[in-house]
Parts: sequence; C-alpha cells; structure tokens
Amino acid sequence: MSETQNSKGFSKALIIGLVVVILVLGAALIILAIGQSGAPVEAESVNALANSNDECVVCHERTTPGIIEQYGHSTMAAAEVSCRDCHEVEAGYPGSVEHEGAQVLASPTTAICEECHRPEVAQYNASRHSMPAYVAYAGTEDLTPEQMAIYEAIPEGSFVADKSRNAIAELEGPEMRRFTCEGCHNIGKPAEDESVGQCQKCHLRHSFSLEQARKPETCNHCHIGPDHPQWEIYQESPHGISYMTMGHEWDWEAEPGTLGVEEFPAPTCAVCHMSGFGSSGTTHDVGDRLTWFLFKPISDRRPSWQDNMVRMQGVCLECHNQNFLDDFYDAGDKATERVNEWVVESDEIMEPLKENNLLTSEPFDEPIDYTYFNLWHHWGRTAKFGVWMQGPDYSQWHGAYEVLHDLAELREMAEDKLTEAGLIGE
Amino acid sequence: MYYLAEAFPVVRRFRIPLSRDQSMLLTLAFNELLLGVETYVAHLISGTIVPYEWIPIIFGPVAAVLLMLAGFLAQRNRPLATIIANLVFTTSIIVGLLGAYFHAVRAIRPYAAPGERVSVSLLVWAPPVLGPLTFALVGILGISASWIEDPPDSGTLLFWRGRRLSLPYSKTRAYFFLVGMGSLATVISSVLDHARTDFSNPWLWVPTAIGVFATTVAIVLGALDKPIRADILTYFVAMLLMILVGVVGFILHIGEDLTVSGDIVLERFLRGAPPLAPMLFADIGLLGLIAMLDPVEQQEVERSD
Repeated sequence: MSETQNSKGFSKALIIGLVVVILVLGAALIILAIGQSGAPVEAESVNALANSNDECVVCHERTTPGIIEQYGHSTMAAAEVSCRDCHEVEAGYPGSVEHEGAQVLASPTTAICEECHRPEVAQYNASRHSMPAYVAYAGTEDLTPEQMAIYEAIPEGSFVADKSRNAIAELEGPEMRRFTCEGCHNIGKPAEDESVGQCQKCHLRHSFSLEQARKPETCNHCHIGPDHPQWEIYQESPHGISYMTMGHEWDWEAEPGTLGVEEFPAPTCAVCHMSGFGSSGTTHDVGDRLTWFLFKPISDRRPSWQDNMVRMQGVCLECHNQNFLDDFYDAGDKATERVNEWVVESDEIMEPLKENNLLTSEPFDEPIDYTYFNLWHHWGRTAKFGVWMQGPDYSQWHGAYEVLHDLAELREMAEDKLTEAGLIGE
Repeated sequence: MYYLAEAFPVVRRFRIPLSRDQSMLLTLAFNELLLGVETYVAHLISGTIVPYEWIPIIFGPVAAVLLMLAGFLAQRNRPLATIIANLVFTTSIIVGLLGAYFHAVRAIRPYAAPGERVSVSLLVWAPPVLGPLTFALVGILGISASWIEDPPDSGTLLFWRGRRLSLPYSKTRAYFFLVGMGSLATVISSVLDHARTDFSNPWLWVPTAIGVFATTVAIVLGALDKPIRADILTYFVAMLLMILVGVVGFILHIGEDLTVSGDIVLERFLRGAPPLAPMLFADIGLLGLIAMLDPVEQQEVERSD
C-alpha cells in the first residue's frame, strides 16, 4: 500500500469517527430534549450564585443572605447581570455613596434599568405611574425645570404648573407621609440623577419574578382601599373569581408578547392593562388602554381615548364579541356620566357656601370637608371603578349608595350653614 | 461525479450559467444577508439590543455585500476575490462560534451547585445555542466553495502558484458531510425549541423526522465511495423534503403568530414562533441540492469545448 493511500485511509477513519460521535451525541440530545419537553425550566429553582466568588456575593451572603438567595434564583442572575451592573456607578453619580471602594446606588434608578429595558422605561415615563403619581401628593414646588418638562410632556399627566402639595398629605405631615402617601405615590418619584420612577415597586427586588409582577396581588399593594378599591372589585368580578379559583393552572412564565387565552383563560390587572394579549402589544403605559380619567372628581375622556379603546378591546375580543363590548362600553359611559352628575350636584351644593365665605380657609378641618371629599374621592370613584371592572356590590353599596347618602348629608350640612348665616329661612 | 445527472440523466442537456461553486457562493451570500436579518429580529425579543448583539446583525449584510463584490471581481482578479471571500467566511466562522458561546453561556449556570450547572431543560429554554453556528456553517461551506478542486472530485484543492492541498474526500463528498452536519444542527435546534411546547402539536414531529432522515442520508452519501442511483435519489428526495418542511414550517409559524382573529401584531412575531427559523430547513435543503451539481468548473468546461 502506497504512503499516500495509507494517509488518505487514516484521515477517512478520523473523519468518519468524528462524524459518528457528533451524530450519536446529537441523537442523544434529541431524545433527552423530547423526553424532558414540556417541563418548564424552573430557572428559578437553580441558584446561579451558589458558588459565586464575586466579592459582592461573598460578602452579602454573610450580611444580607436573603438578597443573594433571591437574586441567585432570578432570571437576571441567569442572564449574567451582576450586582455591579445595576449598583455600581461612576464617581460623583448623583445619589451614589462610597461602598467598599466603589461608588454604588443603594437603590438603582430607572436610568440604570433603562440600559437594558429602554422601551419599558420610555412607555412608563409616558404614563400616570410616572411623575403624575408623585405630583398628586407632593405637588410641583420642588421639581426642577427638567422634571417639570417631563411632567408636562405626559399626554395623560393632567399637567398643572403650580400644583400644590396635597392638602391631606400636608396635614398628616412628613412623619406619616413616609408610611402613607409615599408608599404608593413614590412610584413616580424623581431621583437625584433626574430619572423618574421606581421599577422595583412592581418588580420586587431581588427576585425580579415575571410571575410576581403579573399577579394581581402586586397591584393590590396600592390599588386597594376605600378610594380606589380595584383589588376588592377584581376579587368580586368574574375575572377575579376565575383567577382565584383557577389561576394556579395559568402559565405565569409565558413569553411576554405572546399571551393568549391558552396561557390566561381570564384576565388579570396586567393582562387588561399592560400585557401583550390578543391584538394589543405589551406596554408599560398603564393608561394606554383607558378611555376615561375615572380618578377625577368629574371624569372626562382621555386624549386619544378612541385609540385606547381599540387597544383595550383588542384584549377583550379574545373572549367577548364586539356586540357585547359595544353594549358594555355604552352602558359604562352612561354610568360614568351619571356619577359625574352627582359630583356636579355636590359642587352646586357647595357653591353658595364658598361664595358666601361660609367655609373655613383651612382644608379638612370640619366635617363638611370630609363629606364633600369622600363623596367623589371614595364613593364616586368606587362606583365608577365598580362599573368598569364588574363589581356590582362595590358599584352599588360601596359606591352609588354612599354617593347618594353623602349627597343627602351634604345638602343638610349646607342648609344648616346657610340657615345659620341667615341666607335661607329655617 | 455529477450526482444530479446520475439521478436524472436528462439534466446533462442543460447548461447552468453558473458553476456549482458559483451557485454555492451566491446562495451563501444571500444566506449571510438573511442571517443578519433573522438575528436582528431574534435579538429584538427583549426590546433592547445590547452592543455585542449587534455584531451578527451588522456582519450579515456587510458580508453579503462583500461577497457579491468578490463575485463580480472574480472574473477579473480571481486571487483577490478569493482572498476577500475567505476573509469574509473566516469572519463568519468566528461570528458563529462567538454567538454559540454567548448563547451557551445563558444555558449554563457556572456558579450554581454541582449537578445544576447544565441540564437539557436549561438548553431548551436558553437562547438557541446552535442557531449562531449557521454563520459558521456558511463560513466553512464558503471556504470550500471558493477554492478550485483540480482535478474535479479529486479532493485536491488548487492554491496559488501551483500549490495544492490534498484532502481525504472530494469537495462534493465534503459538501454532503457539511450538509449532514447542517441538517443535524437544524434538527437539534428545532427539537430544543419545540420542546418548549411539549410536542403537543403533532406537526412538530415532522421536522424532527425529516431532519433526522436528511442528516443520516447526507452523511451516508458522503461516506459512500460508490453510491448507486437509488442512494442519490434518496438524498435528492431528502433535500426536497427539507425544503418542503421549511416552507410549511414557515407558514405554520406565521399562523401561530397571528391572533385568533387573524390580526398581525408585530410583537407576537418577534417574541412568538420565529417565522424565519423553519427556513433553515429549506436553506440546508437548497444547499444540499446545489452540492449535487456538476463539480467541473466553468473554465474547464470552456476549455473542453
């Protein structure tokens, strides 16, 4: 056998051998993948930092082990986002402090999140979760010109240049505000680096769990209580009943932007207002699908409300037909206008008292102040939210009934004051 | 051996204006462009493309342009055209390997507890590890196609100044091996992605079966010293099936991404079933068919005329 033939034969065996190895390994992978298919990766079950030698991790495992345990199981850690990627900033960064030889932000701002989540931050900055939430209690007096510009640029921000601090917030004082207004309304608080907002209000650190962010309990942190009982209304509604009884079977980790009725047979807060579902794309602008400013004393239409309605109905149409939606929206509009009429009536009752200086100059220092305020702020809004989110008990007994009750009380209180002032006979 | 003519003798009557290698290079140039586009769509899944994710997105179209230029240049200055093409294809291999590394890193938890660092489940849900290797496959095929084999089917590549490199297999058989490897990578990639859906849809078994079949047939054809007509016909049918699977898969993926009422929502196409992914089957099938063309270079045909 010639040397050339000999060398050619050797090479063929090597090539065939390598090819067979690759084929066998490939076949094994195919068989294993098919065998384990369907079992969603419990990425969160693996602690990606269990044996990390990163100095942040090593130290904080001793000092704040909960953070390491949470973050180790997060998809962020699985994507190799390190502690420094979010916390470490350059020297002199606004709000940073020196920590173990580095400059860090104790709480990363949206400017940091924006480096990887640009569209989300942009959408959020256009929403009422942004600056309007903060201004609602804090007013505009402490805003920089740049922050005022951000506030003004929000189409649904209800911009008021000289908005004062909320009277109740002012009355309660900073000692209470820290535990009251700020707990929720700081979702739109400006940071020292001029960015706005706190992503971690919804995306709890350090798990950053998609399931947690999607579940209604997250929204429950703020959207609850006598003045905006969305959580209670949702629980009462058919959607909420479906969630509470069958939600454990839903696909909470489904890829964003691909959700449908297979993953979520009934909607949650996120599905209706934010998630990509049906023909509506994902958004972090929580007002993007709403038609009314229901939170206002006298509700009016949002800008581009027709487009918003199309986006909302893009979600509804996955389960409901257009006739149902047209009828529902028509009825909801009429009910909203009915509540508006009651609030207008309350304004008309109060008008002569204001004109004749029969009210004290201090806010919330006499019972009529609270009755007048509660009428729209608690009961009127509850009625409207109950209408649109299908909570009949809240629409009725916590809503419309209380509005009518307070109207009656308000009339009596106003008459008493007018009579006392001699402006009307007894 | 002119494999296509062995299967269908009638094709000898037709003269294709491009040689086999020219056809291969043209297809690979188009491949680079489409890979860049597909990578852009895939990397948009999170809404934000980080800097190093732009590498394949920019490289793909640039490579396509450079390869087309090299193609035009080849008529006047073959050595320069070959240098340009080899540089592009070598870079393509590097881009593919880099991409596979970046994707594989997302499937591995290097600091997790032993036994939890790698698993098939992690591979299923991580970014497609084998997807970027398509750049590498294009690179290897392209390097093979850019050098003349003289004599045809000898396995001897002709370099400059008379230098030659003897390889153990002819270029044609090397193509078959590469097509087999490409088919294997494609079917593994498809199985890992389809595993996310629990294989609940019976259609998902089709690309798996066809992909495994095409892989086996291509490898066997490359390994056979003297294939019979039936072997070649089997391979031809396998490549046609790959093309069919790709086109049908493309249609099915689009159907999956449409809403129930048939609306197009861009986000669903970006984050749902990737529309272009099944076309990788069709791509491999096409490359496999090109490998069956006459290995004789155009210049030799003209000299013999």
